[in-house]
Amino acid sequence: MATGPVDILIIGTGASGAAAAWRLSEAGFKIVCLEQGAWQRPEQYPAAHANWELQGATTFAFDPNIRGLPEDYPVNNTESDIAPLMFNAVGGSTIHWTAHTPRFHPSDFRVRSLDGVADDWPISYFDLEKYFDLNDDWMGCSGIAGDPANPPRSPRPMPPLPLGPDGERIARGFDKLGWHWWPSDSYINSQPYRGRNACNNCGPNGLGCYQKAKGSTDVTYLPEAIKNGVEVRTNARVFKITVDQDGRANGASYYDEEGIEHHQSARGVIVAANGIGTPRLMLLSKSKRHPDGIANSSGLVGKNLMFHPYAMVTGFFDDPQPSTYQGALGNIIISQQFYETNARRDFVRGYSYQMNRSSGPAKTATGLAISPVKWGEGHHEEFAERFGKSSLLAVISEDLPEERNRVELDRAIKDSNGIPAPKVFYRVSNNTRRLLDHGIRNAERVLLAAGAHRTEANPMLRAGGWHLMGTARMGDDPERSVVDGNCQAHDVDNLFVIDGSVFVTSGAVNPTPTIQAIALRAADYICRERTDLKG
Amino acid sequence: MPTKQGALTDSDRRNMRVVMDRLIPPVDDLPGAGTMGLLDEIERIASEHDRYRKSLVRFLDALTMDMSVEAEGGFLALSGEQQDEAIREIEESLSKEFANVLEVVYISYYSRPEVHARIGWRTGPLQPLGFTLPPFDESILDTVRKREPFWRQAPD
Repeated sequence: MATGPVDILIIGTGASGAAAAWRLSEAGFKIVCLEQGAWQRPEQYPAAHANWELQGATTFAFDPNIRGLPEDYPVNNTESDIAPLMFNAVGGSTIHWTAHTPRFHPSDFRVRSLDGVADDWPISYFDLEKYFDLNDDWMGCSGIAGDPANPPRSPRPMPPLPLGPDGERIARGFDKLGWHWWPSDSYINSQPYRGRNACNNCGPNGLGCYQKAKGSTDVTYLPEAIKNGVEVRTNARVFKITVDQDGRANGASYYDEEGIEHHQSARGVIVAANGIGTPRLMLLSKSKRHPDGIANSSGLVGKNLMFHPYAMVTGFFDDPQPSTYQGALGNIIISQQFYETNARRDFVRGYSYQMNRSSGPAKTATGLAISPVKWGEGHHEEFAERFGKSSLLAVISEDLPEERNRVELDRAIKDSNGIPAPKVFYRVSNNTRRLLDHGIRNAERVLLAAGAHRTEANPMLRAGGWHLMGTARMGDDPERSVVDGNCQAHDVDNLFVIDGSVFVTSGAVNPTPTIQAIALRAADYICRERTDLKG
Repeated sequence: MPTKQGALTDSDRRNMRVVMDRLIPPVDDLPGAGTMGLLDEIERIASEHDRYRKSLVRFLDALTMDMSVEAEGGFLALSGEQQDEAIREIEESLSKEFANVLEVVYISYYSRPEVHARIGWRTGPLQPLGFTLPPFDESILDTVRKREPFWRQAPD
């Protein structure tokens, strides 16, 4: 365990923290990662147990308020239309993500210029392109190049995951309408890759991956980072980024598993604790030089919270051999037919479709994205209609930033160490509502074209806050942003934020490859321009 | 009525078994969820997860404190339709708690091997077997590949 100052202290070992730890360690930086969770044991993930569906509803639930594990912190979501979801462990939320990995589009970085809403980013798609490729390689991307909805990209490291008969059926539905679709890029191995197994299509990849086929950062970046000398300190809950008399970051204070307070000093600090945890920590880090929280002279730390509001449309099919639960849950096909603004519509920006499979019997009964199967008379008939015979289209909507949507410190609720919990204020905008409604109508058309005899829509998934963005946004203007285009805080030159907090806009795709590309680029900047942080 | 600690009384157990039979009735050669003997499992799960325990207690409290039910001689004395009506009233008045009770009943029922056998689900852990799917076949792309690139250009 390091005792004296390290070069870089990284708070969080999820998607971005692990990627940066690896990149910086390759360049010889001495690094400690503080992680409030623990290492997971893939052989103990829920899918290894007969009660995997019970675990998915309790100790492995996406919602930290439901899990309530010692390493979790409560999130007050009573003033939010959407419940934030996350996982606290080495690997962070990549433990429970589905690893569906589309990229942001070039237009996503120029929303103000193109559509007159929100703001442009200080960086472009092409600034990130080589980091997308690097990340695809390290995380292990299965897919196929040639998607007409996206800029050309290099050959994928592995071929696509199998579409399965259910995926092919939905693809043909899109074809019938003349609408775009493409096999999803996924950080799931379609064949053995970098010492990890191929996916064996068990289904619920949101519950960890027994085969290590899914690219969570505990099995991708971190083992290599540790070989390079990175120390990952687990069960370490950071409650304050500390500063010197000039207001520069000089480390962080944290509690260990026994609740004993420690301090780790560092020449530079990187925050990678997700779009809720990062602003919470920054707001907690008040000092004489930073009375409103560290790097918060703009007042924007915690503001502009964005999710991707999801609508879900389920199609029910008459399958002679029910099997729509076989295969990775959400790694089949994507459609970006309606991704961009169209002046003839009553909303700006757009959405993606992501096909999702159904699940096991208990999840089918309790309702995967729709109401539970009805109880009493007719129960068994309705269950039979759903089980193994239903496919879903998720409408992933772009969410534009609004300052009223925010993260604050809760005045009453605290975590198990007595640290104030985050409170989330979030309301879905009228633009988003119109966008989701458009997405629902067209999803129904696709499912019916694919042969569904009936569809059912969930107009917005409350338990759908997987993507946490915008709460420490990047920009060139210190009065309108928290960090610059290299993720360096405007107010504190040795503090960096590299997770989804820095997003200026949300795009309409799962954000993790973009988060990781930004993290790798920020790490390269530190390697190149901030050698002063190396002891 | 459950004790303050949440332990179910014998009367609660009798009521709950009937409730479970109403929620998931018999089908083919399987009895309803209550007669199947799932209550021990549900109590065990509830003892480990506060969300279920609190909801179960409130649900059973509501069932035994319903004056109209009491006037008829208690929940067990009601006809099937009246029992459904009593459950439905609680579903409306304690929607969150009822949802949790329904969830734990469904999870318990649909985790049973005999239920799996009936619905055609391979029981036990998903791993290490997984499922076999045919590999990706590129010919499925024939139609969409004819489309010209349509991604939107953006200024630098």
